Amino acid sequence: MRAERIVARGFRNLRDLDLELPPSGAVFLGPNGHGKTNLLELLYYPVLYRSLRGARDVDVTCHGEAGFELALTLRAERTPRELAAGFRCAGKRKRLTQDGVEPERLSDAIGHWLAVAFLPTDLHLVQGPASERRQYLDRVLSLADRAYLRALSAYRRALAQRNSALRQRRPDLAGAWNPMLARFGAELVRRRMGWIADHAESFTATCVALGELAEVTLRYRGDGALADEAAWPEAFARAANRDEALGATGTGPHRDDVDIRLGGRPLREVGSTGQHRTAAVALRLCERETLAAASGTEPALLLDDVFAELDAGRQERLAAALQQGAAHQTFITAPREDELPVDFHLETLQVENGRVGDARHPQAV
Amino acid sequence: MGAIDDLVAELARLPGIGHKTAQRLTFHLLQQPRERAERLAATLGAVATRVHPCPECGTFTEDARCTVCDDPRRDATLLCVVEEASAVPVVERATGFRGRYLVLGGRLSPLEGVGPEQLRMALLRRRVASGEVREVILATNPSLEGEATATYIHQLLDGTGVKVTRLARGLPVGGDLEYIDGVTLSHALDARQEVP
Repeated sequence: MRAERIVARGFRNLRDLDLELPPSGAVFLGPNGHGKTNLLELLYYPVLYRSLRGARDVDVTCHGEAGFELALTLRAERTPRELAAGFRCAGKRKRLTQDGVEPERLSDAIGHWLAVAFLPTDLHLVQGPASERRQYLDRVLSLADRAYLRALSAYRRALAQRNSALRQRRPDLAGAWNPMLARFGAELVRRRMGWIADHAESFTATCVALGELAEVTLRYRGDGALADEAAWPEAFARAANRDEALGATGTGPHRDDVDIRLGGRPLREVGSTGQHRTAAVALRLCERETLAAASGTEPALLLDDVFAELDAGRQERLAAALQQGAAHQTFITAPREDELPVDFHLETLQVENGRVGDARHPQAV
Repeated sequence: MGAIDDLVAELARLPGIGHKTAQRLTFHLLQQPRERAERLAATLGAVATRVHPCPECGTFTEDARCTVCDDPRRDATLLCVVEEASAVPVVERATGFRGRYLVLGGRLSPLEGVGPEQLRMALLRRRVASGEVREVILATNPSLEGEATATYIHQLLDGTGVKVTRLARGLPVGGDLEYIDGVTLSHALDARQEVP
């Protein structure tokens, strides 16, 4: 999957950008705070039409601007070819178009441009709370399968309604949402468990390939029985008193986690930062594998300063793992050229004050 | 505020009308002959004073009871429950339904502060308790909230002995399979029927 051009106005510090994207990708070089990560955030935006860093659209908008606009042009043979998004801070209105046509729902808009981002904050995937790992699963599965995204939005809305009824101390009203939670919740649990079963082995192998000596394993943590819609009524009945006391629903995939273990013990308790980073990178590589299998084409890779903390051996192994697979586009940020592993042969683009040019001829101001 | 601003503000409260459209409508009315605006005002006044919900079903009527509830030939054993009064003429025009209606006046949504008390659930219970109704057809919208409302009513009527049915979901007649949205198609696949 390749993009040819990205145009943006008012996106972070990229006030007015029109960039031809080299077919194999590029290295964005430049001092900190000049917009390298913003470029990756921009390239990722048409994947989910949301900030990669979880920022609100208002905060993505360049300070002092009324909103932002962007358009990504894919390679000629793809339809839709141009993915565009515009956001107005007034009224917080977002408008998406694909080849000029507004898609009926968000689930129709996504899946045309796929990318996997490797960020310094990926360490949270391993070290952070369960919500980080649920978010990871939800993103990967939503991008790979629209049915998952539909079930997820329906589940979230039904959950919000049920919790609202519980907070109003109306258990009778809360119960009206149970069949909906059961139907969509069972689908989420089923698909999440299926994904882990399919990828656990390759996750372990990837950790080894990245230089990990002890065995790192992946397992779904949650009530597996809830993969069956028929098991939900009993689960609701068991939790009824607690739910009513807490004013919130305590049963379901919104409470589940992914259990990552090193030599049989919880990785986040026993591993070093280097081992945490390795597992986080392996999760991203699983994401890429999933998206590639689902779409039949390699997603673009967006690497934000990922080589910085690694020793030469791990850098090499990571670079090798990233370059596996069919041809794809890779975009890398680095503060200095000497922080890149040697075997990436990509065009270098200089980033300065939100402007991009090639290393010798920065874009004229 | 002057009269113009008042009218713009009132129009802008209507669904689907923003401030700009409200302004355009206001100035359009001002440019028309005066009688037109007066006729519109009189019509609005008449609707406001004469129209009220039917005490038996909640649909709008000018009479003591609506035409459906007043018609002795309608089948009182069949009760079709809809969210809004606007659904009644749609069902009337499009189907040969000969039963009666009950308009809930919305759908359950705790997030928006809509509980059973905000809807005509008590009226529904009274209608069922009267013993006339044999089947309640739940024709709430196939949205999350509409489904939850249907579930709630189903539970509410549990033990009353009436049959509770729900409208089927599936493919629109005359539709083209490749243009059908995924949710509808997956419902249709789940609820597939054997070819007779």
